[in-house]
Amino acid sequence: MSGAGRRTGPAGERPEEYADEYAAALASALRGPVRAKARLVAEIREGLADTVAAYADEGLPRDLAVRRAVREFGTVAEVAPACQRELTVAQVRHTARAVALAAPLPAVCWYLLLVMGHGSQLPLATRLVTLPLAGVAAAAALLATAALAATGPLARRLPTPRRLPRATAWAGTAAGVCLGVSALTLAASSPLSGNWPLVAPAGALAAALHTVVASSARACRDCARA
Amino acid sequence: MKADAVRGHLDGLLLAVLEPGPLHGYAIITAVQRRSAGALELRTGTVYPALNRLERTGLLRSSWDSAGERKRRRYELTDAGRRALAEERTAWQAFTAAIGSVLDPAPHPGHAG
Repeated sequence: MSGAGRRTGPAGERPEEYADEYAAALASALRGPVRAKARLVAEIREGLADTVAAYADEGLPRDLAVRRAVREFGTVAEVAPACQRELTVAQVRHTARAVALAAPLPAVCWYLLLVMGHGSQLPLATRLVTLPLAGVAAAAALLATAALAATGPLARRLPTPRRLPRATAWAGTAAGVCLGVSALTLAASSPLSGNWPLVAPAGALAAALHTVVASSARACRDCARA
Repeated sequence: MKADAVRGHLDGLLLAVLEPGPLHGYAIITAVQRRSAGALELRTGTVYPALNRLERTGLLRSSWDSAGERKRRRYELTDAGRRALAEERTAWQAFTAAIGSVLDPAPHPGHAG
């Protein structure tokens, strides 16, 4: 660090040292999307370092400057709940975006196969399993879109429903299961279908999306419990 | 004024200190304290998630600002933020007028006699 980052207290210790400890304790207490969490913790760390430095510049001994700054700032236990609320909403939006973008794709693939006249070439069992799953995934995508709206500009006027993180996590789990079963069904029926070069990539796509959506839903459940 | 009493008005306070121009988090906190002459007790650690929330709802926008190796997030009002601030001011004036008219010991003309 240089410039403002090198400001030292009377004891010769950098104010950043305590801010680093505080930031590490806060980071370990929080759950949420990696980038959003890193940004929030970094901002708070800078703010605390500035506060300690300001008290040290007034001539307070470093320990007293740190105590004053933390009293003004709030302890990790006092600050963490407000941070967690915001990170939970960030995770809800993260998961909702993944579901809204990924979940409709099996339905789109199914529609394209029908439009191109290849749907009848799939085994009957595949059609019976995949079609309802595409419907469930589409419903999850609708719920995810509503979650994005409720946590965006609409949140200025309406309170964010308390159960929204849990509902989004379950929508993500449902979409993840649908994508996983779709992937397995399409992979299993690929050799039997009349047009495997189309069916196999659709299965691979569903498998990749399952991984993304399922991990995001898991993270959303963790945040909802935090 | 205690931190609990301030909490319900935090959004309006943050929007108001950003009205003149962009500021980073610590400068926002010191601006609130300076403008209130230290009368408002702010749990300053909770200001940062509040700034994130205001940005998420479109009332603020932010960008990274580097000072040496140190990076700070600078916030500024959006057009929606300016409108929200105007609404906050109107609502606050109506609220204080209503409470003031009840607390004011002067007799109300309608109840005279």
